[in-house]
Amino acid sequence: MSGGHNNHVDNSVWSRAIFMAGAILTIGIVAFAALGLGVGSVKHDTYDDAKAAYYDAMDDPTVSEAELEHLHHEEIDAHLSYLTYWVAGITILIISAIYAIFLGIGGFINLIQPQDDHHDDHHDDHHDEHHGSASPIIFCLGVLLFLMGFPDFVEALRALMSQGGTFAAGDLVLSTLGLTVIMIGVANWWREDLPFIGHGEQIATSAPFEGEHIRKAGLWVFIMSEVMVFATFFSSYLRVRTEWCTKWAFDDGKCSVGATEGDIVLTASDYLRPGGAAGTGDFWTMLPGAVNTFALIISSYTIVLALKTAKSKDWEAPKGVLRYLLPDKKTAVRNYLIATLLLGSMFIVLKLVEWSHLVAEGFTVGTVQGSIFYVATGAHGLHVFVGLLIMLYLVFKADTIGYDEDNGQGIEYFGLYWHFVDLAWVVIFPAFYLY
Amino acid sequence: MGEHAATGLEKWLLDKTGKDIYFWNFQVLMFFTLFEVGAVFFEVIPGTDIAITRFMVWGILIVVGIIKGYGIAAYFMHLKGDPRIYTRTALFPVLFVLLMLWGIGLSNPEAVTELPSWCTPDWDYATKR
Repeated sequence: MSGGHNNHVDNSVWSRAIFMAGAILTIGIVAFAALGLGVGSVKHDTYDDAKAAYYDAMDDPTVSEAELEHLHHEEIDAHLSYLTYWVAGITILIISAIYAIFLGIGGFINLIQPQDDHHDDHHDDHHDEHHGSASPIIFCLGVLLFLMGFPDFVEALRALMSQGGTFAAGDLVLSTLGLTVIMIGVANWWREDLPFIGHGEQIATSAPFEGEHIRKAGLWVFIMSEVMVFATFFSSYLRVRTEWCTKWAFDDGKCSVGATEGDIVLTASDYLRPGGAAGTGDFWTMLPGAVNTFALIISSYTIVLALKTAKSKDWEAPKGVLRYLLPDKKTAVRNYLIATLLLGSMFIVLKLVEWSHLVAEGFTVGTVQGSIFYVATGAHGLHVFVGLLIMLYLVFKADTIGYDEDNGQGIEYFGLYWHFVDLAWVVIFPAFYLY
Repeated sequence: MGEHAATGLEKWLLDKTGKDIYFWNFQVLMFFTLFEVGAVFFEVIPGTDIAITRFMVWGILIVVGIIKGYGIAAYFMHLKGDPRIYTRTALFPVLFVLLMLWGIGLSNPEAVTELPSWCTPDWDYATKR
Protein backbone atom coordinates (compact mmCIF):
# COMPACT_ATOMS: atom_id res chain seq x y z
CA MET A 1 0.00 0.00 0.00
CA SER A 2 1.45 3.30 -1.02
CA GLY A 3 -1.30 5.89 -0.74
CA GLY A 4 -1.36 8.70 -3.27
CA HIS A 5 -2.38 8.72 -6.92
CA ASN A 6 -3.45 5.58 -8.67
CA ASN A 7 -3.88 4.39 -12.22
CA HIS A 8 -7.04 2.71 -13.34
CA VAL A 9 -6.43 -1.02 -13.48
CA ASP A 10 -8.93 -3.40 -14.99
CA ASN A 11 -9.75 -6.50 -12.97
CA SER A 12 -8.93 -8.72 -15.91
CA VAL A 13 -5.22 -8.02 -15.37
CA TRP A 14 -5.35 -10.46 -12.46
CA SER A 15 -6.07 -13.34 -14.82
CA ARG A 16 -2.42 -12.95 -15.85
CA ALA A 17 -1.41 -13.86 -12.29
CA ILE A 18 -3.37 -17.09 -12.63
CA PHE A 19 -1.72 -17.75 -15.99
CA MET A 20 1.72 -17.13 -14.46
CA ALA A 21 0.84 -19.48 -11.58
CA GLY A 22 -0.02 -22.19 -14.09
CA ALA A 23 3.23 -21.64 -15.98
CA ILE A 24 5.28 -21.81 -12.78
CA LEU A 25 3.55 -25.01 -11.66
CA THR A 26 4.13 -26.57 -15.09
CA ILE A 27 7.84 -25.74 -14.91
CA GLY A 28 7.96 -27.27 -11.42
CA ILE A 29 6.26 -30.49 -12.54
CA VAL A 30 8.53 -30.82 -15.57
CA ALA A 31 11.65 -30.20 -13.45
CA PHE A 32 10.46 -32.76 -10.88
CA ALA A 33 9.73 -35.30 -13.60
CA ALA A 34 13.16 -34.77 -15.15
CA LEU A 35 15.29 -34.52 -12.01
CA GLY A 36 13.36 -36.41 -9.35
CA LEU A 37 11.64 -39.13 -11.34
CA GLY A 38 13.92 -39.36 -14.39
CA VAL A 39 17.51 -38.96 -13.28
CA GLY A 40 16.55 -39.67 -9.67
CA SER A 41 15.19 -43.15 -10.41
CA VAL A 42 18.28 -44.02 -12.47
CA LYS A 43 20.45 -42.85 -9.59
CA HIS A 44 18.32 -44.84 -7.16
CA ASP A 45 18.92 -48.00 -9.19
CA THR A 46 22.65 -47.28 -9.12
CA TYR A 47 22.43 -46.81 -5.37
CA ASP A 48 20.53 -50.11 -4.94
CA ASP A 49 23.19 -51.90 -6.99
CA ALA A 50 26.03 -50.31 -5.01
CA LYS A 51 24.32 -51.18 -1.71
CA ALA A 52 23.71 -54.78 -2.80
CA ALA A 53 27.35 -55.10 -3.91
CA TYR A 54 28.55 -53.79 -0.55
CA TYR A 55 26.26 -56.05 1.48
CA ASP A 56 27.24 -59.07 -0.61
CA ALA A 57 30.89 -58.24 -0.09
CA MET A 58 30.39 -58.01 3.66
CA ASP A 59 29.20 -61.63 3.68
CA ASP A 60 32.03 -62.76 1.45
CA PRO A 61 35.15 -63.72 3.46
CA THR A 62 37.38 -63.56 0.37
CA VAL A 63 36.87 -59.79 -0.05
CA SER A 64 39.74 -57.75 1.38
CA GLU A 65 39.29 -54.86 3.82
CA ALA A 66 40.50 -52.39 1.20
CA GLU A 67 37.98 -53.62 -1.34
CA LEU A 68 35.20 -53.53 1.24
CA GLU A 69 36.10 -49.95 2.08
CA HIS A 70 36.07 -49.07 -1.61
CA LEU A 71 32.61 -50.61 -2.05
CA HIS A 72 31.36 -48.76 1.01
CA HIS A 73 32.56 -45.45 -0.46
CA GLU A 74 30.87 -46.28 -3.73
CA GLU A 75 27.63 -46.96 -1.89
CA ILE A 76 27.84 -43.63 -0.04
CA ASP A 77 28.65 -41.75 -3.27
CA ALA A 78 25.73 -43.41 -5.05
CA HIS A 79 23.39 -42.53 -2.17
CA LEU A 80 24.49 -38.88 -2.13
CA SER A 81 24.21 -38.68 -5.91
CA TYR A 82 20.64 -40.02 -5.71
CA LEU A 83 19.80 -37.56 -2.93
CA THR A 84 21.10 -34.66 -5.03
CA TYR A 85 18.65 -35.27 -7.87
CA TRP A 86 15.69 -36.43 -5.79
CA VAL A 87 15.89 -33.55 -3.29
CA ALA A 88 16.50 -31.00 -6.07
CA GLY A 89 13.48 -32.32 -7.99
CA ILE A 90 11.10 -32.48 -5.03
CA THR A 91 12.24 -29.06 -3.76
CA ILE A 92 11.63 -27.44 -7.15
CA LEU A 93 8.19 -29.08 -7.24
CA ILE A 94 7.27 -27.89 -3.74
CA ILE A 95 8.51 -24.32 -4.11
CA SER A 96 6.88 -23.93 -7.52
CA ALA A 97 3.62 -25.31 -6.07
CA ILE A 98 3.84 -22.74 -3.24
CA TYR A 99 4.64 -19.97 -5.77
CA ALA A 100 1.68 -21.07 -7.90
CA ILE A 101 -0.72 -21.27 -4.97
CA PHE A 102 0.42 -17.88 -3.64
CA LEU A 103 0.22 -16.10 -6.99
CA GLY A 104 -2.82 -18.00 -8.24
CA ILE A 105 -5.00 -17.54 -5.15
CA GLY A 106 -3.93 -13.89 -4.78
CA GLY A 107 -4.79 -13.29 -8.43
CA PHE A 108 -8.08 -15.18 -8.18
CA ILE A 109 -9.24 -13.25 -5.10
CA ASN A 110 -8.65 -9.99 -6.96
CA LEU A 111 -10.12 -11.23 -10.22
CA ILE A 112 -13.50 -11.98 -8.62
CA GLN A 113 -13.66 -8.63 -6.81
CA PRO A 114 -16.18 -6.12 -8.15
CA GLN A 115 -14.51 -3.69 -10.55
CA ASP A 116 -13.31 -0.58 -8.70
CA ASP A 117 -14.36 2.45 -10.73
CA HIS A 118 -12.59 4.94 -8.47
CA HIS A 119 -9.20 6.05 -9.71
CA ASP A 120 -7.17 9.13 -8.98
CA ASP A 121 -6.36 10.63 -12.31
CA HIS A 122 -7.10 14.16 -11.18
CA HIS A 123 -4.12 15.29 -9.18
CA ASP A 124 -4.93 17.68 -6.39
CA ASP A 125 -3.73 18.04 -2.84
CA HIS A 126 -6.66 16.14 -1.40
CA HIS A 127 -5.67 13.00 -3.28
CA ASP A 128 -2.08 13.18 -2.04
CA GLU A 129 -3.32 12.23 1.40
CA HIS A 130 -2.78 8.69 2.63
CA HIS A 131 -5.90 6.61 2.01
CA GLY A 132 -5.17 4.09 4.74
CA SER A 133 -4.98 0.34 4.41
CA ALA A 134 -6.23 -2.55 6.48
CA SER A 135 -3.97 -5.02 4.63
CA PRO A 136 -1.00 -5.01 7.07
CA ILE A 137 -3.19 -5.67 10.10
CA ILE A 138 -5.12 -8.41 8.25
CA PHE A 139 -1.79 -9.96 7.28
CA CYS A 140 -0.51 -9.80 10.86
CA LEU A 141 -3.71 -11.38 12.19
CA GLY A 142 -3.20 -14.22 9.72
CA VAL A 143 0.39 -14.72 10.85
CA LEU A 144 -0.77 -14.75 14.48
CA LEU A 145 -3.37 -17.46 13.77
CA PHE A 146 -0.92 -19.48 11.68
CA LEU A 147 1.74 -19.45 14.38
CA MET A 148 -0.77 -20.26 17.13
CA GLY A 149 -1.77 -23.39 15.24
CA PHE A 150 1.72 -24.18 13.96
CA PRO A 151 2.73 -26.91 16.48
CA ASP A 152 -0.48 -28.88 15.80
CA PHE A 153 -0.09 -28.16 12.07
CA VAL A 154 3.38 -29.73 12.08
CA GLU A 155 2.16 -32.75 14.04
CA ALA A 156 -0.68 -33.27 11.56
CA LEU A 157 1.71 -33.02 8.62
CA ARG A 158 4.09 -35.47 10.25
CA ALA A 159 1.21 -37.92 10.72
CA LEU A 160 0.12 -37.39 7.11
CA MET A 161 3.63 -38.20 5.89
CA SER A 162 3.70 -41.33 8.11
CA GLN A 163 6.44 -39.88 10.26
CA GLY A 164 4.69 -40.80 13.52
CA GLY A 165 1.72 -39.64 15.60
CA THR A 166 -1.99 -39.83 14.84
CA PHE A 167 -3.58 -37.62 12.22
CA ALA A 168 -6.40 -35.37 13.40
CA ALA A 169 -7.95 -33.00 10.86
CA GLY A 170 -8.71 -30.53 13.64
CA ASP A 171 -4.98 -29.92 14.07
CA LEU A 172 -4.90 -28.27 10.66
CA VAL A 173 -7.78 -25.84 11.28
CA LEU A 174 -6.11 -22.91 13.04
CA SER A 175 -3.06 -22.72 10.78
CA THR A 176 -5.16 -23.16 7.65
CA LEU A 177 -7.41 -20.35 8.82
CA GLY A 178 -4.27 -18.25 9.42
CA LEU A 179 -2.97 -18.99 5.91
CA THR A 180 -6.37 -18.02 4.46
CA VAL A 181 -6.36 -14.70 6.32
CA ILE A 182 -2.74 -14.11 5.22
CA MET A 183 -3.76 -14.67 1.58
CA ILE A 184 -6.69 -12.26 1.90
CA GLY A 185 -4.38 -9.62 3.42
CA VAL A 186 -1.73 -10.15 0.74
CA ALA A 187 -4.27 -10.09 -2.11
CA ASN A 188 -5.77 -6.88 -0.78
CA TRP A 189 -2.28 -5.39 -0.45
CA TRP A 190 -1.52 -6.26 -4.08
CA ARG A 191 -4.83 -4.76 -5.19
CA GLU A 192 -3.97 -1.51 -3.46
CA ASP A 193 -0.38 -1.35 -4.70
CA LEU A 194 -0.81 -2.44 -8.31
CA PRO A 195 -2.33 0.83 -9.58
CA PHE A 196 0.19 2.98 -7.67
CA ILE A 197 2.07 5.17 -10.12
CA GLY A 198 4.48 6.75 -7.68
CA HIS A 199 2.97 10.13 -6.97
CA GLY A 200 1.86 10.94 -3.45
CA GLU A 201 4.30 8.69 -1.59
CA GLN A 202 3.73 9.27 2.11
CA ILE A 203 6.34 11.56 3.63
CA ALA A 204 7.35 11.60 7.30
CA THR A 205 6.49 14.95 8.88
CA SER A 206 8.47 14.74 12.10
CA ALA A 207 12.01 13.97 13.29
CA PRO A 208 14.13 11.96 12.87
CA PHE A 209 12.91 10.94 9.41
CA GLU A 210 11.31 14.27 8.50
CA GLY A 211 10.99 14.63 4.73
CA GLU A 212 11.81 10.97 4.06
CA HIS A 213 9.50 8.36 2.58
CA ILE A 214 7.69 6.61 5.42
CA ARG A 215 7.90 3.24 3.69
CA LYS A 216 11.67 3.50 3.36
CA ALA A 217 12.14 4.59 6.98
CA GLY A 218 9.87 1.77 8.12
CA LEU A 219 11.84 -0.73 6.13
CA TRP A 220 15.11 0.38 7.72
CA VAL A 221 13.59 0.03 11.18
CA PHE A 222 12.42 -3.45 10.18
CA ILE A 223 15.93 -4.33 8.96
CA MET A 224 17.28 -3.06 12.27
CA SER A 225 15.07 -5.57 14.09
CA GLU A 226 16.21 -8.31 11.73
CA VAL A 227 19.83 -7.55 12.62
CA MET A 228 18.92 -8.37 16.22
CA VAL A 229 17.27 -11.65 15.19
CA PHE A 230 20.41 -12.83 13.41
CA ALA A 231 22.59 -11.51 16.24
CA THR A 232 20.82 -13.91 18.61
CA PHE A 233 21.71 -16.85 16.38
CA PHE A 234 25.27 -15.68 16.03
CA SER A 235 25.83 -15.02 19.73
CA SER A 236 24.31 -18.42 20.58
CA TYR A 237 26.64 -20.03 18.07
CA LEU A 238 29.62 -18.17 19.49
CA ARG A 239 28.58 -19.22 22.99
CA VAL A 240 28.59 -22.92 22.19
CA ARG A 241 31.35 -22.82 19.63
CA THR A 242 33.92 -21.37 22.03
CA GLU A 243 33.20 -24.26 24.38
CA TRP A 244 33.56 -27.05 21.82
CA CYS A 245 36.69 -29.09 21.48
CA THR A 246 36.91 -28.75 17.70
CA LYS A 247 39.64 -30.33 15.61
CA TRP A 248 41.37 -26.99 15.33
CA ALA A 249 41.19 -26.43 19.10
CA PHE A 250 42.42 -29.99 19.70
CA ASP A 251 45.40 -29.57 17.38
CA ASP A 252 46.26 -26.28 19.08
CA GLY A 253 46.08 -27.91 22.51
CA LYS A 254 43.17 -25.71 23.55
CA CYS A 255 40.88 -28.53 24.70
CA SER A 256 40.60 -29.43 28.36
CA VAL A 257 43.34 -31.58 29.92
CA GLY A 258 43.01 -35.24 29.01
CA ALA A 259 40.80 -34.63 25.95
CA THR A 260 41.22 -37.31 23.32
CA GLU A 261 40.34 -37.38 19.64
CA GLY A 262 37.08 -39.01 20.65
CA ASP A 263 36.06 -35.76 22.39
CA ILE A 264 36.33 -33.71 19.20
CA VAL A 265 33.08 -31.98 18.26
CA LEU A 266 32.38 -32.06 14.53
CA THR A 267 30.84 -28.87 13.14
CA ALA A 268 29.08 -28.38 9.81
CA SER A 269 32.28 -26.95 8.34
CA ASP A 270 34.09 -30.17 9.36
CA TYR A 271 31.73 -32.04 7.05
CA LEU A 272 31.75 -29.49 4.26
CA ARG A 273 35.21 -27.92 4.19
CA PRO A 274 38.00 -29.66 2.29
CA GLY A 275 40.31 -31.06 4.95
CA GLY A 276 37.52 -30.90 7.54
CA ALA A 277 37.76 -33.22 10.55
CA ALA A 278 34.81 -35.42 9.49
CA GLY A 279 36.82 -36.54 6.48
CA THR A 280 33.89 -36.05 4.13
CA GLY A 281 34.71 -32.56 2.86
CA ASP A 282 35.98 -31.92 -0.64
CA PHE A 283 35.36 -29.60 -3.56
CA TRP A 284 31.88 -31.02 -4.17
CA THR A 285 30.65 -30.75 -0.59
CA MET A 286 31.73 -27.12 -0.44
CA LEU A 287 30.28 -26.33 -3.84
CA PRO A 288 26.57 -25.75 -2.97
CA GLY A 289 27.42 -23.25 -0.22
CA ALA A 290 29.96 -21.51 -2.42
CA VAL A 291 27.59 -21.37 -5.40
CA ASN A 292 24.87 -20.02 -3.12
CA THR A 293 27.17 -17.26 -1.94
CA PHE A 294 27.80 -16.19 -5.52
CA ALA A 295 24.10 -16.60 -6.35
CA LEU A 296 23.08 -14.17 -3.62
CA ILE A 297 25.67 -11.61 -4.68
CA ILE A 298 24.63 -11.87 -8.32
CA SER A 299 20.97 -11.59 -7.31
CA SER A 300 21.81 -8.46 -5.33
CA TYR A 301 23.29 -7.03 -8.51
CA THR A 302 20.35 -8.05 -10.72
CA ILE A 303 17.89 -6.31 -8.42
CA VAL A 304 20.10 -3.19 -8.53
CA LEU A 305 19.99 -3.44 -12.32
CA ALA A 306 16.19 -3.79 -12.23
CA LEU A 307 15.93 -0.60 -10.18
CA LYS A 308 18.51 1.25 -12.24
CA THR A 309 16.65 0.31 -15.43
CA ALA A 310 13.28 1.31 -13.96
CA LYS A 311 14.62 4.67 -12.79
CA SER A 312 16.49 5.37 -16.02
CA LYS A 313 14.99 8.15 -18.14
CA ASP A 314 17.09 7.41 -21.22
CA TRP A 315 17.40 3.62 -21.14
CA GLU A 316 18.68 2.01 -24.32
CA ALA A 317 18.52 -1.68 -25.23
CA PRO A 318 21.96 -3.33 -25.04
CA LYS A 319 23.71 -4.56 -28.14
CA GLY A 320 24.52 -8.19 -28.92
CA VAL A 321 22.81 -11.23 -27.44
CA LEU A 322 21.47 -9.33 -24.45
CA ARG A 323 19.26 -7.33 -26.82
CA TYR A 324 16.98 -10.37 -27.09
CA LEU A 325 16.66 -10.67 -23.32
CA LEU A 326 16.30 -6.95 -22.70
CA PRO A 327 14.52 -5.58 -25.78
CA ASP A 328 12.74 -2.73 -24.05
CA LYS A 329 12.68 -1.06 -20.66
CA LYS A 330 9.58 -2.78 -19.30
CA THR A 331 10.76 -6.24 -20.35
CA ALA A 332 14.27 -5.53 -19.05
CA VAL A 333 12.98 -4.68 -15.56
CA ARG A 334 10.80 -7.79 -15.54
CA ASN A 335 13.61 -10.04 -16.73
CA TYR A 336 16.08 -8.70 -14.18
CA LEU A 337 13.49 -9.47 -11.51
CA ILE A 338 12.94 -12.96 -12.94
CA ALA A 339 16.72 -13.51 -12.87
CA THR A 340 16.71 -12.50 -9.20
CA LEU A 341 13.81 -14.87 -8.55
CA LEU A 342 15.61 -17.75 -10.26
CA LEU A 343 18.86 -17.15 -8.39
CA GLY A 344 17.00 -17.00 -5.07
CA SER A 345 15.10 -20.19 -5.91
CA MET A 346 18.37 -21.89 -6.80
CA PHE A 347 19.66 -20.87 -3.39
CA ILE A 348 16.79 -22.71 -1.68
CA VAL A 349 17.21 -25.82 -3.85
CA LEU A 350 20.97 -26.05 -3.25
CA LYS A 351 20.48 -25.39 0.44
CA LEU A 352 18.13 -28.36 0.81
CA VAL A 353 20.37 -30.60 -1.32
CA GLU A 354 23.25 -29.69 0.99
CA TRP A 355 21.16 -30.34 4.09
CA SER A 356 20.12 -33.76 2.77
CA HIS A 357 23.80 -34.65 2.31
CA LEU A 358 24.70 -33.46 5.78
CA VAL A 359 21.87 -35.45 7.38
CA ALA A 360 22.84 -38.54 5.37
CA GLU A 361 26.40 -38.19 6.65
CA GLY A 362 25.25 -38.03 10.26
CA PHE A 363 25.15 -34.29 10.91
CA THR A 364 21.62 -34.15 12.29
CA VAL A 365 19.53 -31.57 14.11
CA GLY A 366 19.62 -33.80 17.19
CA THR A 367 22.99 -32.42 18.32
CA VAL A 368 23.80 -28.94 19.65
CA GLN A 369 26.10 -28.22 16.70
CA GLY A 370 23.47 -29.51 14.27
CA SER A 371 20.68 -27.60 15.97
CA ILE A 372 22.41 -24.21 15.86
CA PHE A 373 23.51 -24.79 12.26
CA TYR A 374 20.08 -25.80 10.95
CA VAL A 375 18.23 -23.13 12.93
CA ALA A 376 20.54 -20.30 11.84
CA THR A 377 20.87 -21.30 8.19
CA GLY A 378 17.20 -22.33 8.12
CA ALA A 379 16.10 -18.94 9.45
CA HIS A 380 18.19 -17.32 6.74
CA GLY A 381 16.69 -19.63 4.11
CA LEU A 382 13.21 -18.71 5.36
CA HIS A 383 14.06 -15.04 4.86
CA VAL A 384 15.19 -15.80 1.33
CA PHE A 385 11.98 -17.70 0.66
CA VAL A 386 9.75 -14.93 2.00
CA GLY A 387 11.68 -12.52 -0.23
CA LEU A 388 10.99 -14.78 -3.21
CA LEU A 389 7.25 -14.75 -2.49
CA ILE A 390 7.31 -10.95 -2.43
CA MET A 391 9.35 -10.97 -5.62
CA LEU A 392 6.61 -12.95 -7.38
CA TYR A 393 4.37 -9.92 -7.02
CA LEU A 394 7.13 -7.60 -8.26
CA VAL A 395 7.51 -9.78 -11.35
CA PHE A 396 3.74 -9.69 -11.86
CA LYS A 397 3.61 -5.91 -11.54
CA ALA A 398 6.64 -5.51 -13.82
CA ASP A 399 4.91 -7.73 -16.38
CA THR A 400 1.58 -5.89 -16.28
CA ILE A 401 1.63 -2.29 -15.07
CA GLY A 402 5.41 -1.98 -15.25
CA TYR A 403 7.96 -0.04 -13.21
CA ASP A 404 9.34 3.32 -14.26
CA GLU A 405 11.15 6.31 -12.79
CA ASP A 406 8.03 7.28 -10.82
CA ASN A 407 7.04 4.02 -9.13
CA GLY A 408 10.44 2.27 -9.12
CA GLN A 409 10.75 2.75 -5.36
CA GLY A 410 8.74 -0.47 -4.96
CA ILE A 411 11.81 -2.31 -6.27
CA GLU A 412 14.11 -0.11 -4.19
CA TYR A 413 12.41 -0.94 -0.90
CA PHE A 414 12.24 -4.64 -1.65
CA GLY A 415 15.89 -4.43 -2.75
CA LEU A 416 16.87 -3.15 0.70
CA TYR A 417 15.41 -6.27 2.26
CA TRP A 418 17.05 -8.50 -0.34
CA HIS A 419 20.47 -6.88 0.22
CA PHE A 420 20.04 -7.39 3.94
CA VAL A 421 19.48 -11.10 3.32
CA ASP A 422 22.72 -11.08 1.32
CA LEU A 423 24.45 -9.20 4.14
CA ALA A 424 23.31 -11.79 6.70
CA TRP A 425 24.79 -14.53 4.48
CA VAL A 426 28.11 -12.64 4.45
CA VAL A 427 28.27 -13.41 8.19
CA ILE A 428 26.63 -16.85 8.23
CA PHE A 429 28.60 -18.40 5.37
CA PRO A 430 32.11 -17.94 6.80
CA ALA A 431 31.01 -18.62 10.39
CA PHE A 432 29.16 -21.86 9.70
CA TYR A 433 30.65 -23.16 6.46
CA LEU A 434 34.24 -22.07 6.33
CA TYR A 435 35.37 -21.94 9.96
CA MET B 1 19.57 2.27 -3.85
CA GLY B 2 18.11 5.73 -4.17
CA GLU B 3 18.80 8.03 -7.09
CA HIS B 4 21.51 10.63 -6.81
CA ALA B 5 24.16 12.20 -9.02
CA ALA B 6 27.52 10.39 -9.09
CA THR B 7 30.26 12.17 -7.14
CA GLY B 8 33.82 11.43 -6.02
CA LEU B 9 34.86 7.83 -6.60
CA GLU B 10 31.59 7.00 -8.31
CA LYS B 11 32.04 9.78 -10.85
CA TRP B 12 35.71 8.94 -11.38
CA LEU B 13 34.91 5.28 -12.07
CA LEU B 14 32.08 6.23 -14.39
CA ASP B 15 34.26 8.68 -16.33
CA LYS B 16 37.28 6.40 -16.57
CA THR B 17 35.62 3.08 -17.27
CA GLY B 18 32.12 3.85 -18.46
CA LYS B 19 30.80 1.50 -15.76
CA ASP B 20 28.95 2.70 -12.68
CA ILE B 21 29.72 2.07 -9.02
CA TYR B 22 27.23 -0.80 -8.84
CA PHE B 23 29.15 -2.71 -11.51
CA TRP B 24 32.48 -2.23 -9.75
CA ASN B 25 31.03 -3.02 -6.36
CA PHE B 26 29.68 -6.26 -7.83
CA GLN B 27 33.15 -7.09 -9.20
CA VAL B 28 34.78 -6.42 -5.82
CA LEU B 29 32.20 -8.59 -4.03
CA MET B 30 32.72 -11.44 -6.49
CA PHE B 31 36.51 -11.22 -6.17
CA PHE B 32 36.52 -11.24 -2.39
CA THR B 33 34.02 -14.10 -2.25
CA LEU B 34 36.29 -16.09 -4.54
CA PHE B 35 39.21 -15.22 -2.28
CA GLU B 36 37.23 -16.18 0.84
CA VAL B 37 36.14 -19.55 -0.51
CA GLY B 38 39.58 -20.17 -2.04
CA ALA B 39 41.29 -19.57 1.30
CA VAL B 40 39.63 -22.58 2.91
CA PHE B 41 40.33 -24.87 -0.03
CA PHE B 42 44.05 -24.70 0.66
CA GLU B 43 45.82 -26.14 3.68
CA VAL B 44 49.07 -24.35 2.76
CA ILE B 45 49.61 -21.07 0.94
CA PRO B 46 49.93 -22.10 -2.72
CA GLY B 47 53.55 -22.26 -3.86
CA THR B 48 54.90 -22.31 -0.30
CA ASP B 49 55.10 -24.66 2.68
CA ILE B 50 53.41 -22.16 4.97
CA ALA B 51 50.41 -23.77 6.64
CA ILE B 52 47.17 -21.81 6.77
CA THR B 53 46.43 -21.72 10.49
CA ARG B 54 43.06 -21.09 12.05
CA PHE B 55 44.21 -17.58 13.00
CA MET B 56 45.00 -16.88 9.35
CA VAL B 57 41.57 -18.20 8.40
CA TRP B 58 40.01 -15.99 11.11
CA GLY B 59 41.87 -12.96 9.79
CA ILE B 60 40.93 -13.60 6.18
CA LEU B 61 37.28 -14.29 6.96
CA ILE B 62 36.87 -11.23 9.20
CA VAL B 63 38.65 -8.82 6.83
CA VAL B 64 36.80 -10.14 3.78
CA GLY B 65 33.51 -10.05 5.71
CA ILE B 66 34.04 -6.39 6.61
CA ILE B 67 34.89 -5.46 3.01
CA LYS B 68 31.87 -7.32 1.62
CA GLY B 69 29.56 -5.98 4.30
CA TYR B 70 30.69 -2.44 3.57
CA GLY B 71 30.24 -2.92 -0.18
CA ILE B 72 26.70 -4.21 0.19
CA ALA B 73 25.57 -1.69 2.82
CA ALA B 74 27.29 1.38 1.38
CA TYR B 75 26.62 0.92 -2.33
CA PHE B 76 23.90 -1.67 -2.92
CA MET B 77 21.80 -0.49 0.05
CA HIS B 78 22.96 3.00 -0.78
CA LEU B 79 23.76 4.18 2.72
CA LYS B 80 26.52 6.17 1.02
CA GLY B 81 24.51 8.86 -0.69
CA ASP B 82 21.29 8.57 1.31
CA PRO B 83 20.61 10.92 4.25
CA ARG B 84 22.68 10.13 7.36
CA ILE B 85 19.62 9.14 9.34
CA TYR B 86 19.54 5.82 7.49
CA THR B 87 23.14 5.05 8.41
CA ARG B 88 22.39 5.95 12.01
CA THR B 89 19.34 3.68 11.92
CA ALA B 90 21.41 0.85 10.46
CA LEU B 91 24.12 1.30 13.09
CA PHE B 92 21.71 1.63 16.01
CA PRO B 93 21.57 -2.13 16.76
CA VAL B 94 25.36 -2.46 16.70
CA LEU B 95 25.60 -1.63 20.42
CA PHE B 96 23.08 -4.34 21.26
CA VAL B 97 24.74 -6.80 18.94
CA LEU B 98 28.11 -6.19 20.60
CA LEU B 99 26.50 -6.60 24.02
CA MET B 100 24.98 -9.89 22.91
CA LEU B 101 28.24 -11.17 21.46
CA TRP B 102 30.08 -10.15 24.62
CA GLY B 103 27.47 -11.06 27.21
CA ILE B 104 26.14 -14.24 25.62
CA GLY B 105 28.60 -15.26 22.95
CA LEU B 106 31.67 -14.98 25.11
CA SER B 107 30.13 -15.88 28.42
CA ASN B 108 31.43 -19.41 28.82
CA PRO B 109 34.49 -19.96 30.98
CA GLU B 110 36.77 -21.31 28.28
CA ALA B 111 36.03 -18.46 25.96
CA VAL B 112 36.69 -15.93 28.68
CA THR B 113 40.07 -17.36 29.63
CA GLU B 114 41.13 -17.12 26.01
CA LEU B 115 40.43 -13.39 25.90
CA PRO B 116 42.74 -10.58 26.90
CA SER B 117 41.82 -9.09 30.27
CA TRP B 118 40.51 -5.82 28.84
CA CYS B 119 37.56 -7.53 27.23
CA THR B 120 36.87 -10.15 29.88
CA PRO B 121 33.48 -9.73 31.51
CA ASP B 122 34.03 -9.39 35.24
CA TRP B 123 31.04 -11.47 36.19
CA ASP B 124 31.36 -14.19 38.80
CA TYR B 125 29.15 -16.64 37.04
CA ALA B 126 31.34 -16.47 33.96
CA THR B 127 34.20 -18.17 35.77
CA LYS B 128 32.52 -20.01 38.64
CA ARG B 129 29.85 -21.87 36.75
